[in-house]
Amino acid sequence: MDGKVVVVTSGKGGVGKTTVTSSLGAALALQGKRVAVVDMDIGLRNLDVIMGLENRIVFNVVDVVQGRCKLKQAMIKDRRINNLYLIPASQSDEKNVIQPENMKWLCNRLKKEFDFTLLDCPAGIEQGFKNSIEAADEAIVVCMPEISSVRDADRVIGLLYSRSITPKLVVNRIIPKMVEKGDMLSHKDVVEVLSIDLIGLVEMDESVVVSSNTGLPIVMQKESKAGRAFMQIAMRMNGHPDLPVEDPMAPKSFWKKLGGKISRKNKVH
Amino acid sequence: MPDHNNLPVKLKGVGDSLWVTVDDSLPVDELKNALHKPFERLKQLAVNARIILDSGNNPVDGKLIEELGGYLKEQFHVGVVTGPPQKPKPEVRNKRTEELGSAWHSHQSEALIIAGRVRSGQKLQADKHLIIMGDLNPGAEAIAGGDIIVLGSLMGTAIAGQPDNEGAIIMALDFRPTQVQIGGLAAAGSAGFGGSGKTPEFAMIENNKIVVMDYAAANPFKRFAWPEVR
Ligand SMILES: Nc1ncnc2c1ncn2[C@@H]1O[C@H](COP(=O)(O)OP(=O)(O)OP(=O)(O)O)[C@@H](O)[C@H]1O
Ligand SMILES: [Mg+2]
Repeated sequence: MDGKVVVVTSGKGGVGKTTVTSSLGAALALQGKRVAVVDMDIGLRNLDVIMGLENRIVFNVVDVVQGRCKLKQAMIKDRRINNLYLIPASQSDEKNVIQPENMKWLCNRLKKEFDFTLLDCPAGIEQGFKNSIEAADEAIVVCMPEISSVRDADRVIGLLYSRSITPKLVVNRIIPKMVEKGDMLSHKDVVEVLSIDLIGLVEMDESVVVSSNTGLPIVMQKESKAGRAFMQIAMRMNGHPDLPVEDPMAPKSFWKKLGGKISRKNKVH
Repeated sequence: MPDHNNLPVKLKGVGDSLWVTVDDSLPVDELKNALHKPFERLKQLAVNARIILDSGNNPVDGKLIEELGGYLKEQFHVGVVTGPPQKPKPEVRNKRTEELGSAWHSHQSEALIIAGRVRSGQKLQADKHLIIMGDLNPGAEAIAGGDIIVLGSLMGTAIAGQPDNEGAIIMALDFRPTQVQIGGLAAAGSAGFGGSGKTPEFAMIENNKIVVMDYAAANPFKRFAWPEVR
């Protein structure tokens, strides 16, 4: 049986790729799937810290593709969740030590063993991004409700389409209060421009920060809204594509915003 | 010797306008006098009426139109006053007959028509006109030798009339570009999310400046006497 390789990407940095990768990895594993998460951010590894596994790293993804260790040796088993494995990035190597062919080879092997392989893509559209999308079957584009993030997500979506990958969208770090006041784009605005399938809406949530400090995955925090959103995204990826996306703005004031924040000129000079 | 069959002025309703034939061998003041009576009789009907002044000479002397037109506007509040439509020269007539017949059938279109969404970082380029059935996203670029027409939202940068066609236009059903350029001129738009909620608009050059107007209201091509290949 062949599993799926899903790249998590955004173009812009700091919008939540690593958060999304670790949370979806945990959620899918909690839902009974075998999951590998791979940190593709060579030189700036993060995923291990977020998952609280940094002190167990011996080998990394570069060691694997360069034949310095066996694949098994670089896979770190999660402390809390069964069937969840991390393959960490190397902190010291140059980005270019991995080439697209290496990733194809690696992911073909991971597919044999895991239902889902999630690739935490670095920011930007350079080598690390190219390596990640080369091996991916599917993609999740993470976007914040912010103009520059939308712009970069749009760029990335174009590049994914050019490789015949149809991406799905996660809008992350939504602050409903700000959207309500018209100080933040609504996810509708984002979806209108990006026009790809929406797979999840995640609010700005303190528990994300707490989790990155305590190492307790957000999806295991019962009260966390973001955690619940990630569990639902995982279900949509995992055989329930039609599970409706919960709107953090509903039902209070969703319609109020329409026609809000538009400033334009009749004449431009 | 004056022709007594000829009255100094004659009025005739033609379509939605009033066709006024004047004998331009008479002095202007005499013509004004002669116009007074029939227009007085028209009363309200004359208000805002479209007047075509015809002297039998084609084209009618511009001064005469100005004098008599001014008089009629002032006294009777008529609308636009013009000379009779120019009859096209025979070769033009022939060409038009041919166009309606078949010539346009074999016309090779120089418009590039693209359907879909043009995303950030993508660039479309057309030698002549560019028509996008879809959206041009922020960060995307469309460049054309002629016009750019977006049947959707124009949010990116549209560069028309390259390198130096200042007659080009940029039109969009939902017009909120990041920037537009026509010929050598550039204008900055305002980045905005959410539809403009307005009617289609277009940009063109007027007095060496790029202006944006409501397309339906301005209807820039309605005055063309004949459908032209753009
Ligand atoms: N839903 C959320 N609520 C609160 N904080 C969040 C949320 N998502 C992400 N963050 C915070 O935003 C910061 C950036 O997140 P993250 O590291 O996941 O982004 P990234 O896209 O992987 O960044 P980089 O491009 O640097 O790899 C982190 O501090 C993270 O805790
Ligand atoms: Mg990251």
